[in-house]
Amino acid sequence: MNNPLLDKLPVGICLVNEAYEIVYLNAFFLDRMPVELRGDALGKPLADVFPEQIKFLKRRIKSVFVLKHPSFSYWEQRPHIFPFKSSRPITGEETQMVQNMEIVPHKDTETGEQYACILIQDVTAQASYFKAQAQLAEELKAEHEAQRKLIRKLDRAQSQLIQAEKMASTGQLAAGIAHEINNPMGFVTANLNTLEQYAQNLLETCQATKKLVASHAPEHIEALEDLFDATHVELIEEDMGPLIQESKDGLKRVSEIVSTLRSFAEEPQHTWGYLNLHDTANQLVQLISTQFKRPRFKVTCEPDQLKWYCESASLKQALTNLMMNAAQSIDENGLVMLDIKQTSSGGVAIKIVDTGCGISEANLKRVFEPFFTTRPEGKGQGLGLSVAYSAIEKHKGKLAINSREGKGTVIEVRLPVLKEQEEEKSASNPSTESL
Amino acid sequence: MNDTIALSEDQRDALQELMNISMGQAANSLAHLIETKIGISIPKITAVTPDGLYELVSHHQQAYYTRQSFMGDIHGEVMSILTQHGLTEVAELLEYEQPLSENDINETILELSNILAGACLAGLSEQLELATNLQMPTLFAPQKSDFSQYDWQHSLVMEVKFDIQISSFTMRVVFCLDDASLTRLKSTIDELLG
Repeated sequence: MNNPLLDKLPVGICLVNEAYEIVYLNAFFLDRMPVELRGDALGKPLADVFPEQIKFLKRRIKSVFVLKHPSFSYWEQRPHIFPFKSSRPITGEETQMVQNMEIVPHKDTETGEQYACILIQDVTAQASYFKAQAQLAEELKAEHEAQRKLIRKLDRAQSQLIQAEKMASTGQLAAGIAHEINNPMGFVTANLNTLEQYAQNLLETCQATKKLVASHAPEHIEALEDLFDATHVELIEEDMGPLIQESKDGLKRVSEIVSTLRSFAEEPQHTWGYLNLHDTANQLVQLISTQFKRPRFKVTCEPDQLKWYCESASLKQALTNLMMNAAQSIDENGLVMLDIKQTSSGGVAIKIVDTGCGISEANLKRVFEPFFTTRPEGKGQGLGLSVAYSAIEKHKGKLAINSREGKGTVIEVRLPVLKEQEEEKSASNPSTESL
Repeated sequence: MNDTIALSEDQRDALQELMNISMGQAANSLAHLIETKIGISIPKITAVTPDGLYELVSHHQQAYYTRQSFMGDIHGEVMSILTQHGLTEVAELLEYEQPLSENDINETILELSNILAGACLAGLSEQLELATNLQMPTLFAPQKSDFSQYDWQHSLVMEVKFDIQISSFTMRVVFCLDDASLTRLKSTIDELLG
């Protein structure tokens, strides 16, 4: 057994007899043993030299003696079987040697005695490499997850940009159409006024003619009355006034809608300034009520004509989206209320209450998700609330939503007072929070 | 079936008998070691394609897998499929203390595979007078391996099932041989058959 070649092997060898006594140790094994154990280990029971490991070792050695085939132990399950120091005491990161163990049966051909040969392989380097790899994989996974989150945020920001862009171009379109409508509206109104005058003149001429005939040629009066009856002059006289008044009212409404549309759409983007919330609310309701006839709308503002420092385009957009949702939730009769109130702290609380269909509890959690919609495909993009949310975030405000299915929904927007310097701050770092 | 794989009826019977004996020895050894009764099934000998092998080893949902290669006169791999059920009791028989850590479970799985696969291989090699050497077992996840990527078409598979009777634990051991080893095995069996 004492072959000097065995001392050159890069493997630790420990031979144990059937009495579990150490009968041989090669240089690799000896060199790595704690100094105090080296001297007298040979010939001693394994249990005396390695008392902490003996239970495990005995079990494995027993299986080798019984089964007569090798037993293995892998570092991943049991890294430090023997209390060996790392082979790199100076530069290594591990202080203890990581080991793979193999116990093989050995039979002395001369004496016929059975031995268990414990072979120890130093796998510290591989193990630390493996661990580093595993850690790297973990880190990569975490980074990957972070990137995925960022991509989701970017997606959201992009969809909001698209929506904002769409709204901006819709606004431009609306302004253009409003302008185009205004021109014909001008001459139609002027012509109608002239026509009213002309019609009045004609009717007066008829009356005068009747009087003239009655006094100068009474024999023809009957014929004239017949003619007047045939052409319904009396009816025309009665109907003319209301007809013209109704048309004038209609024209007035058209011009009001057009001017609201213009004042609402022509707002330059991303400018901060004072916005009359009361007027805005009224304009908004006027616009929306042309589209949604069923609900009744009610606007309250306290104090009257409240002006608020904000980025008017995005705040209007947010309010529009919230009001549209409220109006859309009403199928039959119902009420949409827009209540603006300055709070005691100086901020403003905007409440939008509707008596519509409400939102289910499950959906309520998701309403701010971009592209979440309960409307049928093609009817809604599911961006309204998320756009409103980020606009309100831009104003450092809060948006709370409360709803009961079948009863209605209350949305409360709270905006703090923003001074011009603060706005600059929030503009220089615009909506990073919402990104 | 590939010609190199096809065993004659005599060869198959002989191999089955040899397997039976070596499996019996394996079961005995384990029974002796853990001091409990062990039942074994009649060994099944089949030829499989990689897909067939996948079917054979992966239809157990609640199972652990190990693989272990062997070298020497014949060359191949042993796959062991252990039920998750009953493993705790077996670990106790192997003198592991409760509760088992994940490392304890993995060590038990590897140890059991090594004992049974080793005993089977030792028995078979001894009877056929072939020298073999079993390597360290490792844990294996057939679900994560692509069996269709293997560059062999057919393999001889010897399968046996062990039941440890005090618990409901069962374990299957599947031996797979490559072509060259199969030729060697057949000629050795032929010599035995005279």
